[in-house]
Formats: sequence, structure tokens, C-alpha cells
Amino acid sequence: MADSGIDLNKTYDAIVVGSGAAGGMAAHVLTTHGLKVLMLEAGKKLPIEQELRSMEWPYDNAHRGKLPPDRHALTFNEYTIRKPPYGPGFEKSKHLHSYVGNNDYVKNIVVDERENPYTGTNYAWVRARCLGGKTNIWGRLSLRFSDYEFKAKSRDGYGEDWPISYSDLAPYYDKVDLYLGITGVKENLPYLPDSIFQRPTKLSCSEVLLKQGVQKMGRVVTQYRAGVTTDGLKHNKYRSRCYGRGACDRHGGCDIHAAFDSPTGLIYPAMDTGNLTLRTNAVVREVTVDSDTGKASGVHFVDAQTMKDYNVRARVVVIAASTLESARLLLLSKSRLYPNGLANSSLHVGHNFSEHVLGCHIVGQVKDLVGKPSTLDDGRPGGFYLPRFRNLSEKHPKFIRGYGFEGGGGQGMFPGYAMDLKGFGSSFKEEVRNNRGAYIDMGAFGEMLSRYENYVDLDPVVKDKWGIPVLRFHVEFGDNDRHMVEDMQASGQEMFEAAGFKIVDLRTKSLTPGWSIHEIGTVRMGNDPKTSVLNQFEQSHDVKNLFVVDGSAFVNAGCQNPTWTIMALCWRSCDYLADELGKGNL
Amino acid sequence: MSANKATNLKQDRRQWLKASAAVLGASLLPGQARSSEVAEPKTAALAPQGKLGETKSATRFLTRAEYELIEELSETIIPADSHSGGAKASKVADYIEQVLHASVDDNQRSDWRQGLRLVDLMSQHYNGKLFVDSSFEERIAVLTVLSDNDHMTDLTEVRFFRDLKYLTIQGYYTSKIGIHDELEYKGNVALMEFVGCEDPVPGSK
Repeated sequence: MADSGIDLNKTYDAIVVGSGAAGGMAAHVLTTHGLKVLMLEAGKKLPIEQELRSMEWPYDNAHRGKLPPDRHALTFNEYTIRKPPYGPGFEKSKHLHSYVGNNDYVKNIVVDERENPYTGTNYAWVRARCLGGKTNIWGRLSLRFSDYEFKAKSRDGYGEDWPISYSDLAPYYDKVDLYLGITGVKENLPYLPDSIFQRPTKLSCSEVLLKQGVQKMGRVVTQYRAGVTTDGLKHNKYRSRCYGRGACDRHGGCDIHAAFDSPTGLIYPAMDTGNLTLRTNAVVREVTVDSDTGKASGVHFVDAQTMKDYNVRARVVVIAASTLESARLLLLSKSRLYPNGLANSSLHVGHNFSEHVLGCHIVGQVKDLVGKPSTLDDGRPGGFYLPRFRNLSEKHPKFIRGYGFEGGGGQGMFPGYAMDLKGFGSSFKEEVRNNRGAYIDMGAFGEMLSRYENYVDLDPVVKDKWGIPVLRFHVEFGDNDRHMVEDMQASGQEMFEAAGFKIVDLRTKSLTPGWSIHEIGTVRMGNDPKTSVLNQFEQSHDVKNLFVVDGSAFVNAGCQNPTWTIMALCWRSCDYLADELGKGNL
Repeated sequence: MSANKATNLKQDRRQWLKASAAVLGASLLPGQARSSEVAEPKTAALAPQGKLGETKSATRFLTRAEYELIEELSETIIPADSHSGGAKASKVADYIEQVLHASVDDNQRSDWRQGLRLVDLMSQHYNGKLFVDSSFEERIAVLTVLSDNDHMTDLTEVRFFRDLKYLTIQGYYTSKIGIHDELEYKGNVALMEFVGCEDPVPGSK
């Protein structure tokens, strides 16, 4: 599906900046309402099935699936000892990628760090500039937020409540579930509401043992709730149902599109309405404003390849460029009317940054599964999820909010644990074989507290490949985050021990900020225009025909993976947008 | 060598380095900067079977002799057994040759060049012969010294051994033999229904 011809003389009903989960959803909802939409994507459209090759055997790959040697992906150690920008020092590598870009299947999906630098505090920023963005390679864990997050301030006094409650969003979660498909099992947990699930995956033996072990502690292990259609979607001809095949756990997407990705799930169907125009290689550098009305009038973009500058107009501008890029774009859009950047009379744009702290990863060995026959544990979109259990009814003395674990156990295609086994020779080979189904691991995702002091702004000097000022990070974990991390490690061990697992590895260092790829909150919603940027419909308090519909609108991070909530919120906001536009209110 | 007592590599290497200093030059003595260890092989006396410089058409980084040495080293790390073929049958040496040829990491390439020679020096020291001429037990004895001391990453031969083990694992378990014969991997097939666990502890019912 090629770009369908941008018309620079036309005033579109809406411009959508970005084509990931949020941009795709905006395009879907607005085109369904009959609006003429122009979608601008900074990267190109990749031949994605050729990139992902989900079913390729490693021995059929020139590099056995690893990154070609002329490229380098940053490691935890390099993120730790170096400072951004991360380009210098890797001159021998033709391309430099974030840590995610460490295999042959994602190398063209994630950006080249040297073309897209940033500065400031250590940060592992994962970006995918291509049609669909990070949804091409996302982890797929799809969880609902609850009033434990939306009304967190009312519960523990910290931060701000969201301007919505669960009942406002629940119908939109339902719409997202039904339109895109999600697999899981109902658990009736008030702090992790159920979705409308399709056929669930099944737990492997070690996962069943963990479930039984933590049940005694009143905790839950449930099947990975994945944004994957396991029963198929009759209304979508671009996606297949999951048939349990492929290397779902290697970083990389799903080339049969059973896992949701924005192009096949949202954008192609939106193009089929005839209402969507797509322009790729369009690096938006500024939202323009009408100096008479103060409203947004369109955008300036640079062609990523020709470097030519363009201006295009619309009645409404919808920003969905990702949490950090959306904040950057607002800050870049300075004018006489808006000297601090667009929609920034509150001075909160770029602030209240939050994400998830990855403070614990634990590996266990299940003694009873050592030396057993090979089992088929692969081909699932994920293993298990262990929902939050802290600060629900009791108060933890050292920290507020919570964390959950995601993980998996069983035999995979490659025995990664072999690297850590001692020795060599026939006994080594036998030990690797005997343990093929015996390992289980999980990692914690905890809410990093949203704080005004954690923020991004524009670097006064450094520019990207297109001459656009880059972001400067001022982001660090705080005391609450650190206390939570200590507890993650203790509880992780406690639960593995309760399940009878031998703990073979425990990572006690928190991964670099950014690692979760769950950054949120730089353009937050709120009822008070003095302390928030957007209202409950992700509409700018200052500029009424400007909407920001991605993770940047979040008020807090919860400990749930954000994508499903981004899309539910976006759907709600775009329904409102279409309605208001129809009434002539924008 | 006693099988029960770990050899102290740092003590032993003084002897085998000293014995070979005359042929190798001083560049391998402890305390030398890593970069000074970068040297192209020029000591035919130490090259296995004197085939140094003769490059197999299929290899671009390794000499024929180095390639053969890697075949034997990788097979010692993952040998054929009654269950499945080993590193040699799965062509791990081809994989390693490909990785090293394409590597942009000069330290890695130099560690391999030096490491292959050091392994033969060790083999001469402990067994009185080159690694490829050694028996199964003699080969194990040499690699046991490196494996027992694999925390001594300041030593070239230890870094070499660790990378050898890493790439052997990588090459073997991504090969047809490693995936299908050895680990009997059952995935990457279309399923009508997810499989799941019938009985978490097989045989316990």
C-alpha cells in the first residue's frame, strides 16, 4: 500500500502526527467518523514481513538471527558508563541502535542513534521510525488500568488524579478489545479489570507450579494478556488468527499479524474507507498557528530523504508521535503567541515524566523438570503475568503504588542459560539438554512516581540529522522507586522459593531509565489548566483544536503496560473530537 | 595433572610463556598492554603441521591450520555423543570463521589469533604436543585449566576461551543438529490449540 498522494493545497479535517498505536487509532476513529485525515509518519514503510520473518530458523539466517557485525546495539553496561549522546565511540559500526535493535529482525525498525541523538541524563530511548512505530515489535502485554491508578491520589495522597475514572474508559476498552483482539483469562481483580478475551494461551508446567506456589500467598498468576487475536477478526482482512507458530519471544513482531500492529490493525482498514491519506518520510518539526485565532493551522515537515520542507494545513492537529516526541514537538512549536512552546501556558510540557522501573529479574530452576523429555512450550505470544499485590488493601511502610511481574517458563528454541553453565564437554552438553524445560524467569515492572522535576527539554545546541533541536533528559529514579525495587527483589525471591524453585540468577541493578519503553506523562491531562496540559479528552487547555493522544497524556504510569490504555483513551478523545468538530466548536 | 585440584593458570603460564619466549618474542609476557598483543602470526614453528599461511578457499580470516584447531576445540566443548552430533558435525568452525571474518572488533580478532597460539603452547606444556595431535583426555586437560580459571579475564587465553565457548554455544544450538537432534525442539509448528501443561511434575500422579 503506497503513499496515497498528499495534497498540499488542501485543508484536511485532521492531521495525525505519528502512526503507532495512538496515531493508528486516531486515524481509525476519525476516518470512521468520515473526516478527511492526513497521517504523517517520520520514517518509511518497511516491507515488514521480510523484516520480521517470524518463522525463520536460525540456521537459515546468515547471522543466525544475530545483528550483522557492522551494526551495534547498546548494552546495559554502555548505557551505564557512557552519557548521551551515545554515538561517539562506536565509529566502527555502520549503524548504532538502542538495546532493542540487537538482532537481525528488528535492525531496520529501530532508529540509528547517530541520526537521532539526545542529551542529558542516562536514558535508554527506544524509537522505531517507520510505519506502525514500536507496534511492529511491541511486547504485546495488554492490561487495563483501574481506579487504583485513575484515582491514585485519592487513595494515597500523592500526585494528581486523572480527570476520568474507570467507568469513563471501560466502554472504550471494550471497543479496543473487540476491534483488535486480546487473549487472556478472566480473574475478577478490581485492580486489573478483565478484557473481553479471546481464546487463552496455556501455562507451561513451571508456570503452573508458580501459580500454585503464589496462590498460598494470596497472589495471582494468569496467562499473558496479549494484544493478539487467537480466534481471528472477521472484520479485518489484514490479520490472521494466532496459530501458535513462530519465535514469539525473540524481540520482533508477528509477520502473520495475529499480534496487533498499527498498520494492519488500524491504518490499512482506515485507508480502505477512502478517508485517509498517508505521507511517510515526513518529519514534523513544528505545529503552525494562526496568529489571529491562536488556533493550530497545520504543520511544517521535512522530507526525511530529500530534506525538503513542506507546510500542510488542517482544521485540527492530532499529535501521536510518542510520549517524548510529542513533548518535543510542542516545545519546538514556539511562536510569538506561544513563546514557551505550544499548549504550554502551564509550563508542564515535558514535565511529570514517568515510566516503569525494571528493578528485578529473577531466574529459577525447577528441579522436578530437570532431565524430562522435550516439551512444546513455544509459539505463545507470552508466558504469564503476576499482577500487583502491594498497596491494595494494606499500606507498605516504605513505598506507595505497586508493581507486577511478567515472565515465562519452559523450553525455548535457544538455551540462553547455557552461557551461564560452568564447564564444557559431554557433561556440559548433557546439562544443557537436561535443563531445556527447567528454567523459568520473570521481571518486575513498577510504577516510577511522576514528579515535576523529572522532565525533558530542548537541548540548546545539539540537533538531529534534519537540523531539529533534540531532547535533553533530566530523568532519575527517586527514593520511592528505589524502595520499591528492594521490595521487588525480596518478593521475587520469596515467590520463587514458595514455588520450590532454585534461584539461579537475580539481577539486583535497576535497568537504565527508558528500558521499559513505557514512558508516559510529559503532556498530562487534568482538570486544572495551571497544572496540566490537556483536558479529559486529551484536548489542549490552551489551543482547542490541538489534541495529544499518546502516552504523554497519562497522569501516572500505574504498573500496567500502557498500550491498551493509550488506544482506549485515544478512541474516546477522537469520538469527542469528531463530535465537537461537527458542532463547529473547534 | 590431578583431576581433583584446579590448576593455577597464572602460576603455570609463566613457565610455558618463558619456554616459548624465544620463538614468540616478548609480546605475550604478562603485563603487556593488550594492543601490543596484536600481531600477525609469523612463527611457523608453532603453526600446527606447518600449514600456516595456507588458506582454505572457504575461510577468509582463519588459516587452514587455525580452522582445524577450532574444529577440534569446539568439538571438545560440545562433543558428539550417543544422543546427537557435536560441534564438528554442525560446522561450528564455519560459523566462527564467518563471525571473525566479519567482526569489526579488533580486540576480538586479536584475542582469537593469540588465543589459538596460546592454546597450543599450553598443549605443548601440559601434554608435549599440539592440541590437534592430542588425545581426547589430553585436550580436556588443557581446556579444564582455562575453564577452571575463566574468571581471569585479564589473560588473553581466558578471554579467548570464553569467546570460544560463547560462539560454540551460539553456533551449535542455532544449527539443525543443535535445535532438532540435540534439544529436540518441538516449536515453530502450526497448532490448532495451544499445548500447555498436562501435569506440572511429570510422573508424580
